[in-house]
Amino acid sequence: MSYKIPMGPYHPALEEPYKLDMICEGETVIDAELRIGFNFRGIEHLAETRNHIQVIALMERVCGICSNIHTLTLCSAMEGITGLTPPPRAQYIRVIMAELERLHSHVLWAGIAAKLMGFKTMFMTCFELREKVMDVLQAISGNRVNYSMNRIGGVNRDITDPQAILKMVEALELEMGRTVIPIFTTSRTARSRCAGVGVLTNEKAISMGIVGPVARASGVPQDIRRAAPYAAYAEMDFDVPVQPAGDVTARLLVRALEIMESCKILRQALSKLPPGEIHTEGEKFAFTTGTATARVEAPRGEVMYSVSWKEGSRNPARVHVRTPTYATMPAIRWMIKGARLADTPLIQASIDPCYSCTDR
Amino acid sequence: MTQTITPLETIPEKLGIGEVFVEKGGVHWLALNGKSVRELAQAMNELHARFITITAYQLPKEEGFRLEYHWDLDGQLLGFSFQLAAKSIESIFDLCEAVDWIEREIHEEYGLDFTGRVYEPLLLRQGDNLGVNLRDGVNQRDAVAASDAVAASKETK
Repeated sequence: MSYKIPMGPYHPALEEPYKLDMICEGETVIDAELRIGFNFRGIEHLAETRNHIQVIALMERVCGICSNIHTLTLCSAMEGITGLTPPPRAQYIRVIMAELERLHSHVLWAGIAAKLMGFKTMFMTCFELREKVMDVLQAISGNRVNYSMNRIGGVNRDITDPQAILKMVEALELEMGRTVIPIFTTSRTARSRCAGVGVLTNEKAISMGIVGPVARASGVPQDIRRAAPYAAYAEMDFDVPVQPAGDVTARLLVRALEIMESCKILRQALSKLPPGEIHTEGEKFAFTTGTATARVEAPRGEVMYSVSWKEGSRNPARVHVRTPTYATMPAIRWMIKGARLADTPLIQASIDPCYSCTDR
Repeated sequence: MTQTITPLETIPEKLGIGEVFVEKGGVHWLALNGKSVRELAQAMNELHARFITITAYQLPKEEGFRLEYHWDLDGQLLGFSFQLAAKSIESIFDLCEAVDWIEREIHEEYGLDFTGRVYEPLLLRQGDNLGVNLRDGVNQRDAVAASDAVAASKETK
């Protein structure tokens, strides 16, 4: 006999509200239905009522974790319509901010995953590490969540002391290599909770158009930083970690290795930070009629913005956002089919879902 | 010297059209000259292109809607535009499962119908009327009427 177990919309395993209705037979999940929309704010519609400065502040609030990525993608799209090109220093600062954001997002996820595994010491270690990254973000931007760094044609704040950030990067790299990665990969707790759990096959990942670390953990070597470089990524040397297994362990490993790659990118960007302006100061610009699209690799995968403008208009005619969790979340249904009920909180968390991004 | 043909260049030939891709605003656009969205989806499948999203535009006055379909092919962003005279277009869900949520979302936000598929309960605002993103009252009323008709047909079943 089958029965239905609802998880959410408000549940200790969920960071934000969504609903997962699981059909179970005994302790095994047979099928599931997902319900989203609990964070729907109509942001795309609201964007049509904001001018080119206000819309940046609005889109920064699509997500509380990757707020910088949203303004970076939006500004890149608006630069496509206005014809403005940010100066080289601004492009480097955009890379630094994006990688710092990836670091804090991945370490946050590692902490939450540890908590769901019942590994509370690791949860605290990860959050202590994340705090160091947050301190750096605050030192650069003056804020811990909404950094207000991006503007059309560049960035709002300069990085005046790259050496101080380098010290944090080295400390984080050391701690990740010394404790977090070895424990996650070798401890019996982590292996027994994650190995072979919540598998998403390579074929399914491709057919569902999955993006980001979840795709890379299913053997899909797709990363916008490499495939279609933006900002200063074309000048950075880094690897795209890929794991073939498609289980929670693979997702954990991909993100852990990406933390190391982010540190590598940060070291390069900070040491090569070119001199000069941080935005196109005083250059007049105007929006021409048309649509421009930009894509960026957020911590959870590809974000895409399509921005349409009518010449002479104060506000955009349309702003469409495709966030990575929107592409990835439907895969939860396939990951939890056949799983033990007790594993489902960890499986759904293993995609590092962002419901605010998804609902907009 | 032999010239290599990129996958991008094979698409017009695959679709049997004489047009070429034009790069604009970060997207490679191809005019489809009457080819259907299902023919396009089949061509994209053959090339192993990755579906990204559909962007819906409500056009001014009574001009209807425009849908822009996006795929990624080896890091290149492809765009295909469809002008909708009526408020419906064929679904490609059976050809490309990645479109499921975005077709449902557009159905819900703009009241457009993707024909040939079954809609699960509404994605964003379950139980609400269709057309939450429509700009003017006339379209919203149409969408509400369509929504009521769908509800009535479910009750009949």
